[in-house]
Amino acid sequence: MLNDLLLTLPITIATVWVLVLILCEAFVHNANLTRWLTAIGFAGIIASIFLIPSPEGYAYGTMLRTGTFTNFSNFIFAVSGLLVVSISDKYLEEEEINFGEYYIILFISTIGMMLMGSAANLSVIFIGLETMSVALYTLAGMLRKDVRSNEAAMKYFLLGSFATGFFLYGIALIYGATGELALPRIAASLQTNGVSTLFWIGLSLLMIGFLFKVSAVPFHQWTPDVYEGSPTTAAAFMSTGSKAAAFSSLIIVLSNISIALPNNAVLQTAFAYIAVATMAVGNITALTQDNLKRMLAYSSIAHAGYMLVGIAAGSNEGYSGVLYYALIYTLMNVGAFGVIAVLERHRTLTNASDYAGLFKQHPLLAGLMAVFMFSLAGLPPFGGFVGKYKVFAAAVEADLTWLAIVGVLASVVSVYYYLRVVIFMFMRDPEPAPQANANATGSFALVAIAVIVFLMGIFPTEVLKLADNAMKVALK
Amino acid sequence: MNSLAYQIIFYLFAAIIVGSAALVVISKNIIHSAFGLLFTFFGVAAIYVYLNADFIAVTQIVVYVGGILVLLLFGVMLTNKITQADLKTETLNPVPGLLITLSVLAMLLYTFYFRAKWVTVPVDQQLRGTVVEPIGIATMTTYVLPFEIVSIVLMVALLGAAYIARADRKVQTKEGK
Repeated sequence: MLNDLLLTLPITIATVWVLVLILCEAFVHNANLTRWLTAIGFAGIIASIFLIPSPEGYAYGTMLRTGTFTNFSNFIFAVSGLLVVSISDKYLEEEEINFGEYYIILFISTIGMMLMGSAANLSVIFIGLETMSVALYTLAGMLRKDVRSNEAAMKYFLLGSFATGFFLYGIALIYGATGELALPRIAASLQTNGVSTLFWIGLSLLMIGFLFKVSAVPFHQWTPDVYEGSPTTAAAFMSTGSKAAAFSSLIIVLSNISIALPNNAVLQTAFAYIAVATMAVGNITALTQDNLKRMLAYSSIAHAGYMLVGIAAGSNEGYSGVLYYALIYTLMNVGAFGVIAVLERHRTLTNASDYAGLFKQHPLLAGLMAVFMFSLAGLPPFGGFVGKYKVFAAAVEADLTWLAIVGVLASVVSVYYYLRVVIFMFMRDPEPAPQANANATGSFALVAIAVIVFLMGIFPTEVLKLADNAMKVALK
Repeated sequence: MNSLAYQIIFYLFAAIIVGSAALVVISKNIIHSAFGLLFTFFGVAAIYVYLNADFIAVTQIVVYVGGILVLLLFGVMLTNKITQADLKTETLNPVPGLLITLSVLAMLLYTFYFRAKWVTVPVDQQLRGTVVEPIGIATMTTYVLPFEIVSIVLMVALLGAAYIARADRKVQTKEGK
């Protein structure tokens, strides 16, 4: 048992640290202290991943997977949490919700994500998903007195619970068809007993649950309302961490099961069509959005579409491309939401037109936003370009050239709405300028993100190697 | 008891479940819906008994009937505004909704009856008597990790509910309280 705790060190650290956070908040009532402790917790998780990387294998029987894949995905979640914590405090003070609970719930959500990213058993995936989701429902409703925030929390909760129902029914049918919950044993059972229609229905229901979480079309309608209504920093967390968690879980399920499926093309075609629909709906709807939070919500749907291209490819390259994409998307999207949070005042000043002449007032902020927008649009030399290149290249290799072409066309469309923001910031005359509400840690975090996004575009090799390595071992 | 009696009792419970579930959905009065739910939960517990799942049947009654439903009723009765209000029960998009529902139902039923290869346990390995003991052992050995994590789910749900429901507080700023 002790060995298992050490093998899954990031999860162990996080679980113990949650208790520390709760006790500290309960006795000291100091949100700033809780914030720093939360940041230390995330830093500790990241440090443990680098200093004591877990070896390949299983922990707690076959409940959790350990190894490079888990290390990589846990790193994404911890980075997402750390960045969101560092951009949160000024925004929370401005919105008058600077309470310690925000940080604690965000931290617990990360535990759920880490369980999803290292699960080897459907029951763990389900409980991880619930831990993450329940925490996110609360985060969406953090602005208690704001009607839009209440609406966001309620919508997310009802639709999320409904999707969870599908997910659970899928698990039940898969158990009925194979008699197993552990993913490796499910694959073994499929190889000996064959794949029945019952299993296919179970798998489809399971996929509905996943596709809801990554907001793929046609399960995307909740996304814009929830991201717009939630506190901006919470939306940054939802759009990055939870998406990365759902994708890593999806990769775990598919990479385990796909060996045993006799007819892989069915799954591939289904994911290809969903990817096309997701990219099309996300990008085209984003064109007409004036509110930046809504625009980023539709853009996050579109980015889920690009990542689904890698899933559709179904190869090692595709999956590692998705991992890399999830990391870079986490960085640039938290950055973009961070800039919005700096300028936002009680739901005003979030439209693209409010950013007119921002460059003259706050050149640094405008420059940072431009970096994030270019990177989200997938223009070289920023990290977003490399991510897109990886997933599209994997699609071409998997004989899905048409899908790669659709993806490239979709990103061409996306350039329009990202650059619109940049044009407003640099080429329009300033209106009465918005006051920036930044502090040292937040600004430092934003600058650091921008630098990393830039570096990951110019020198992607090392990170790509890590992502490739993560998949190579996981699929063995 | 012969199998005919078994069948009659089974269909009786099935009818209770379907009928009371329909009442839950159709009734405009929330109290009636809550009592309809009571019968649904009891009926489902009876079906569990038929499946030799005595532990789940008891849990169903203890948790759903004893816990959740009583809470629901207390909640409704203590907030007197809800009792009088009519629930909105009109159906939106009935035709497309019905089509989708029926096609999914047909697909599931077809699969269950004709195409499913359910995994069955050989007769000599089937459990005799109560299943509580094996469930308890499995929970504390194989499934100890999910079992423990459920406590985190409950904790975050409690934290979230307390945050949303608690009285207003002063916000802290950098300068102090």
